[in-house]
Amino acid sequence: MRVVGILLLALLLAFPAFALDGQQLLKQIDRNLNPESYESYRKLINIEPNGARKEFTLYTVKKGTDKVASIFLAPASDKGRTTLRLGENMWLLIPNVGKPVRITSLQSVVGGVFNNSDILQLDYDAEYRVEKVEEKGAEYLLHLKAKSRSVAYDRIRIWADKSRKLPQRIECLTEAGMLIKTIYFKGIKDFGGFSRPATMETDSPLYKGYKSVMLFAKIKKRSFKDEVFTLNGMSSIDSLR
Amino acid sequence: MARLLLIFLLLVIAAQVGAEEFTFDEAEIEKNIWHLGGYAEVRPGLNLLDRNAAQSRLRYYGRHVDDTLPDFNGKLLLEGSLEKDWLKLFAQPSLDYANTRQSDSLKLTWYEAWVQAKPNEHFRFLAGKKSLRWGKGYAWNPVAFFDRPKNPDEPELSLEGYWMATADYIRSFDGSLQTVAFTPILLPQDHDLNHDFGSSDQINWGGKLYFLLYDTDIDLIMMGRGSRSASYGFDFSRNLATNFELHGELAWVVNTNRTVISTNGQQVTVSSDAVSWLLGARYLTGQDTTYILEYYRNGNGYTQAEMDMYYSQVNQAWVTCQQSGASSQLQRLGQNQSYGRPATMQDYLYLRIAQKEPWDILYFTPALTSIANLRDRSFSLAPELIYTGITNLELRLKGTALVGSPYSEFGEKQNDARIEFRVRYYF
Repeated sequence: MRVVGILLLALLLAFPAFALDGQQLLKQIDRNLNPESYESYRKLINIEPNGARKEFTLYTVKKGTDKVASIFLAPASDKGRTTLRLGENMWLLIPNVGKPVRITSLQSVVGGVFNNSDILQLDYDAEYRVEKVEEKGAEYLLHLKAKSRSVAYDRIRIWADKSRKLPQRIECLTEAGMLIKTIYFKGIKDFGGFSRPATMETDSPLYKGYKSVMLFAKIKKRSFKDEVFTLNGMSSIDSLR
Repeated sequence: MARLLLIFLLLVIAAQVGAEEFTFDEAEIEKNIWHLGGYAEVRPGLNLLDRNAAQSRLRYYGRHVDDTLPDFNGKLLLEGSLEKDWLKLFAQPSLDYANTRQSDSLKLTWYEAWVQAKPNEHFRFLAGKKSLRWGKGYAWNPVAFFDRPKNPDEPELSLEGYWMATADYIRSFDGSLQTVAFTPILLPQDHDLNHDFGSSDQINWGGKLYFLLYDTDIDLIMMGRGSRSASYGFDFSRNLATNFELHGELAWVVNTNRTVISTNGQQVTVSSDAVSWLLGARYLTGQDTTYILEYYRNGNGYTQAEMDMYYSQVNQAWVTCQQSGASSQLQRLGQNQSYGRPATMQDYLYLRIAQKEPWDILYFTPALTSIANLRDRSFSLAPELIYTGITNLELRLKGTALVGSPYSEFGEKQNDARIEFRVRYYF
């Protein structure tokens, strides 16, 4: 009887070691997607139901969990537009207007399915709490809930590859569980030191027939001073290239 | 056999259409040390004149004008920069062409031309012609002491700057105070340099202290007494929710001058302190409709009695001109620009409603803008349609109706209505 009791106690003590720590898993997914501080280039392609396309090229810098800035390099009509995100604060600098104005995460500076929150994406771990992790064959399914109401999507579901710990599909939902958009991760590519999907595609039941694609290039680990991520620093983001 | 070949060909074509290829060539992101860009635009318009309005009488007296007046405007705005390490040169000249039945003009203006040194992320020094665009207001900026006033009808247009020397010192912190930035300014003024900034030869000075504190942008602004009166300002901007932003400005101008038309038609200069302020909000609905609402109190604006006196003097001068042909009084009144400038009175409301991509039409934005003078209950109403779906091309159709009774601001403007089509190509 004592042996059975000891075995039961040992099993109970051992159980937490095998339990999946969802938040830790989310942190790993974040790090596998991007270094904590980095620079990258992205191309956004909006595709209309008739096949018409519009492309935007951006240079992005990120530092830590809450600082990210992007500048549009193309097309000429958008060149120089700069967005800055400091935690829950977001600004847009339009060269002609000449001063940064506050914007919201739900707006889109490019039109199409991607909004400002997708373009100025922080770590998922910084904005979401993992409520539940399910194991679905070769995938994890993470159920995420926003830590605050200032986040663009109240709930997120991430399907992540178990071996690589990289997302394959993300569903963005409202508080009521309505699907806003689905993001698909494709084409694992080596970015010099780490591999991650080089393509993100998204569609939305709110934009039937429309599709947006985000291509990544030259993702590089790089450190920046905090002063880069300030209103005064916005007009100099291009100088970092 | 022919049918099989046709099916095969159709399948091959279908497969090619279905397989979407997305490429990202690294040559697309190569950086040059120089950049040349800008835009060219044409802007034909048609004005429906109000020939009995004070502004029409002052502008067209002694000349025959039709009820409709077409005009044609063109603009070439160039931007050039050269950047190497910590040094950057930038120039933005604008060539503007305007044609009406009465006149034809071509004007070159250097909006900006400056050199900037940025030895590190904390410091930046700049000398040259620069437009600062201080303030948080969308339509008006009472705290923009070192800028030319913007046109609330077109608040997003580039503005001509002033020649100045300025610097930035920036520090970031962890905690509730995230950023502090100090921007001092020296702005010389004489009959050659910044001649329209003020009346006396002075080196004007001032600056701005910026804080990002508790997720709120805060600016403290001042301008020392020089070519213009000493001025002190404060502004703020904060997101109260993901879809709601609140902003405001407060400006105190010490002992500022104002030109007033007196009962005998003479111009009299009146001095007093002026406190102007603005409170505004930007709200985005779930249907992607953006509302921008601003209330503006212009402390240096004219009262209703002062405007009534001005309109009555214009009316009297017009009658004299009609009866005797003497136009000297109309000419004198026409030289006073301050009664005809935008927001010439004291209480204004600005409302802009813009609907992004309605009916799933990508890059299409219809908008409606209204500026109301709350004192005399006159207003402008401007519907517009913007389409940016063709790369680097922006099309805008805009109409403006000016509504107001006689002796009201918008009722006495030159036009009853205007429609214009703007085609802008970026390169």
